[in-house]
Amino acid sequence: MQAWYHCENVYPFVPQDVLDRAPSVRGSLPNRYCDPKIAADLFHECLDEHLLCDDLGVNVVSIEHHSGINSLYGASPLILGILARQTKKVRILSLGTLITVRPDPVRIAEEYATADVVSRGRLDIGFVKSGDSEMASGNANPVGFVDRFWEAIDLIIKTLTAHDGPFSWEGKYYTHRHVNIWPPPYQRPHPPLWAASGDPETTAELGRRGFVNALVLRGPQASKRAFDSYRAARREAGLPEPGTDRFAYAALAYVGDSDAEGVAVGGKLLWFLNTSLKQAPQFSRLLPGRNPPELAPQLWRTKPRPGAAGGGRPADGLIGITAEQAIARGILFAGNPDTVYRQIMRVYDEVGGFGHLIFIGRSGFLDHREAEKGIRLMAKEVLPRLPAMTTTPQARQAAE
Amino acid sequence: MTDTGREAGRLTVAGIEIEALRRGEGRPIVLLHGFQTLDPEARVLDLLARHGAVLAPSLPGFGRSPRPDDFDTVADLVHFVLALIDELPGERAILVGLSFGGWLAAEAAVKCCHRIDRLVLVDPVGIKIGPPDQPDILDIFNRSPDEVRAKSWHDPDRFAPDFDEMSDEALIVHARNREALCRYAWHPYMYDPQLKRWLARIGVPTLVLWGESDRIVTQDYGRAYSALIPGARFELIARAGHHPEIEQPEALVARIAAFLHQ
Repeated sequence: MQAWYHCENVYPFVPQDVLDRAPSVRGSLPNRYCDPKIAADLFHECLDEHLLCDDLGVNVVSIEHHSGINSLYGASPLILGILARQTKKVRILSLGTLITVRPDPVRIAEEYATADVVSRGRLDIGFVKSGDSEMASGNANPVGFVDRFWEAIDLIIKTLTAHDGPFSWEGKYYTHRHVNIWPPPYQRPHPPLWAASGDPETTAELGRRGFVNALVLRGPQASKRAFDSYRAARREAGLPEPGTDRFAYAALAYVGDSDAEGVAVGGKLLWFLNTSLKQAPQFSRLLPGRNPPELAPQLWRTKPRPGAAGGGRPADGLIGITAEQAIARGILFAGNPDTVYRQIMRVYDEVGGFGHLIFIGRSGFLDHREAEKGIRLMAKEVLPRLPAMTTTPQARQAAE
Repeated sequence: MTDTGREAGRLTVAGIEIEALRRGEGRPIVLLHGFQTLDPEARVLDLLARHGAVLAPSLPGFGRSPRPDDFDTVADLVHFVLALIDELPGERAILVGLSFGGWLAAEAAVKCCHRIDRLVLVDPVGIKIGPPDQPDILDIFNRSPDEVRAKSWHDPDRFAPDFDEMSDEALIVHARNREALCRYAWHPYMYDPQLKRWLARIGVPTLVLWGESDRIVTQDYGRAYSALIPGARFELIARAGHHPEIEQPEALVARIAAFLHQ
């Protein structure tokens, strides 16, 4: 199995009373609450954690979020540039640049190709749809973002794979008359492609395209549904059965010396769900394009009628969750190495296997020293025991 | 067109079958909705129908009107409005646009006035007046629902929609309207950067009406808008916010009637 360390570089040092009063901790919280000196320390610590991962053979994930306490990584390509040079061995996954809020996919492809070259072919490219407050901070129309998502991906792939001089793109959402990036990507035909999604329609398309399907904090049931949809779409398209190399499972995770330590420290990761997800209604349930209008009766009433379905994002249901609940739901792996191994394997069996484990090992007030200890124990005591990845026939051919 | 009484009938324009409310007889009056489509029970429809045959379409994507996949810009809506006017009986129609519909009416009149008799704009959006760091039009998508409510109405407690009391169907239409508005008007937000320079092309008598308490888009903006249209009259409607057609339908229609009978 491939393991990936994921850290969102959160900024938890805003006074709680400010967070309690703020209608939203993303999108609209004034940046006067972010001390750039503290931010600098956080960047250095998180990058050092990635270098430790490089020493230990754990791959690293670079993410991107905007304008909030949930992440200081506002530009994945910028961080990729650092990681590409400073790490030496491991793979680097961008999961990802927010392609639906950036105006020019060609520029994204150019930045990805550069990171792939600097790292000498260690980049994986992941696509995320984004949404919510990031549509405001990214100045992007929330209506139609799924269509933009696919067109951006098509343009990025064509940009990465065209080597015979300029081509022109005149799509519905993007136009670019002269596409000819230098350098082209180090890996051919292009770096491995991923996308984070749990919605069965999207995962079916990921299956047909052969992307790695990552499920982030969705738990085993939703992940199994997504992976099943991926497999079914490939079967229907006459494509080979995927190996576990096409599936990634992401959860909060902390390995301690004892169960008590693992749960006490790992429980701090829940800050991400309990504190950093708070968004004002105009950025969430009332945002046009986020949910079909048919869900409006549940979303617009301040007093939902009994038995009405939610309609929020999957993560919304996790706000307020305890460590024990999170462990039971497969959102958090925490304990001593044996316990964490068992927790991971329970989910592994439940979803039908996955070849990539993305562990979110730092968030909230879990500090740098604790994060490094957790990474070491995960790398030395848990990861070597996890099952080997099986490869998809098509992927194998491409690799050969 | 089929007429089914007070409820919306259907109307096919440019190959798109939309829903449309009809009231009254006589010269055609096209009423273009704003952020939200008109309630079939809205008093403004009956009041306006005393002065002509009112046609209030739900534009593609709004209300229960479908929207073709390749129909997603203000330019599409403006061409749609022009096509609708072309299909009306008689020589000329009166075009009344509320808020977002006022933007569309102004764009339509800039493009082609020969089928428009008179133009009435009620709290229209659609142009940029102020400096870059001062938005003219409140961002109804990015600002809090409470702020939008407070700034939309003269008397929000009496007139703002109560979402807890609305039917499922009404809430679905409300959300559909917002989705359509967001699709068409997200960027640049609620205006066409080129429209301001072309408003001088409007060659028909024009009345610009403004809710005195409108803080979605203020009366200063309205005065500036009106000044860009040759010969346009600007009048305020007291005790109304951004939706005079809901808060002061009698006063609104009285002003329109006086203008039509001049």
